[in-house]
Amino acid sequence: MQHSKNKKNKITCKEVMHHLCETLGEDLESPKCVEIKDHLDNCENCRNYFKTIESTIQFYKQYNVQLPEESHNKLLDFLGLKEDEDE
Amino acid sequence: MNDLELIEKAKNGDNKALTELVKRYEQTVYNFAFKICRDKERAEHTMQETFLSMIKSLHQFSGNSKFSTWLYTIVSNHCLMLARSQKVRGFTSLEDDDGIIEEKNVADWKITPDKVTENNELKKILDDAIKKLPYDYRIVFMLRDIEGFSTEETGKMTNLSIPAVKSRLHRARAFLRNELNAAFQE
Repeated sequence: MQHSKNKKNKITCKEVMHHLCETLGEDLESPKCVEIKDHLDNCENCRNYFKTIESTIQFYKQYNVQLPEESHNKLLDFLGLKEDEDE
Repeated sequence: MNDLELIEKAKNGDNKALTELVKRYEQTVYNFAFKICRDKERAEHTMQETFLSMIKSLHQFSGNSKFSTWLYTIVSNHCLMLARSQKVRGFTSLEDDDGIIEEKNVADWKITPDKVTENNELKKILDDAIKKLPYDYRIVFMLRDIEGFSTEETGKMTNLSIPAVKSRLHRARAFLRNELNAAFQE
């Protein structure tokens, strides 16, 4: 995530806060959310904090694993199912 | 064929439909189990137990919720059961917020989430951080932030109240962020 102090960055921070309020089930127009968004406009520290929270979520979203073929075969065997039953 | 059609056929003893249903969701279940356990053997075991439970209780699935939601509930429970059976200890206590939120000199990170799966060093940092979280916090974080379920859905799936989901989510996010922050500063 890019970081700068320009106006565009403020929009990004609002988007981050929007996400945080939304995912916490808060009303985005609630006095609390509006106050937080206003605060973020004027506080680089908090903007960075919320940006790194957002990055944390993105890191874990990007980290996925593929089911190994061996595990797939063991699963069908464990359940007593056969591959060709799907065909 | 959609999920409900497959489920109806599977309920009536159609093994071909059941196999298709398992194959449709095995990658999702395995990936989610790994994200909670952070261990491939445990993820494989959890996936097997999840589908066994699914088959045993398929007749109880009413179709009122999405099938995938129902399956996430089962796999979450199995992740918790596995953790309890192995008496995994050494988690960080998150009973209070003291020390979770930093207040001064917060910097943005230079490292970006791109290509996480190709970077073993980064993967280890992510694994080590989340392994310090209690399982119920991991599950809420994964269901809510990673899989995108609502607060209400996450509460139903984990049998937690909405305030409890919000509290766990907030603490899990802050804890993981601080762990990664410390690792990235090194």
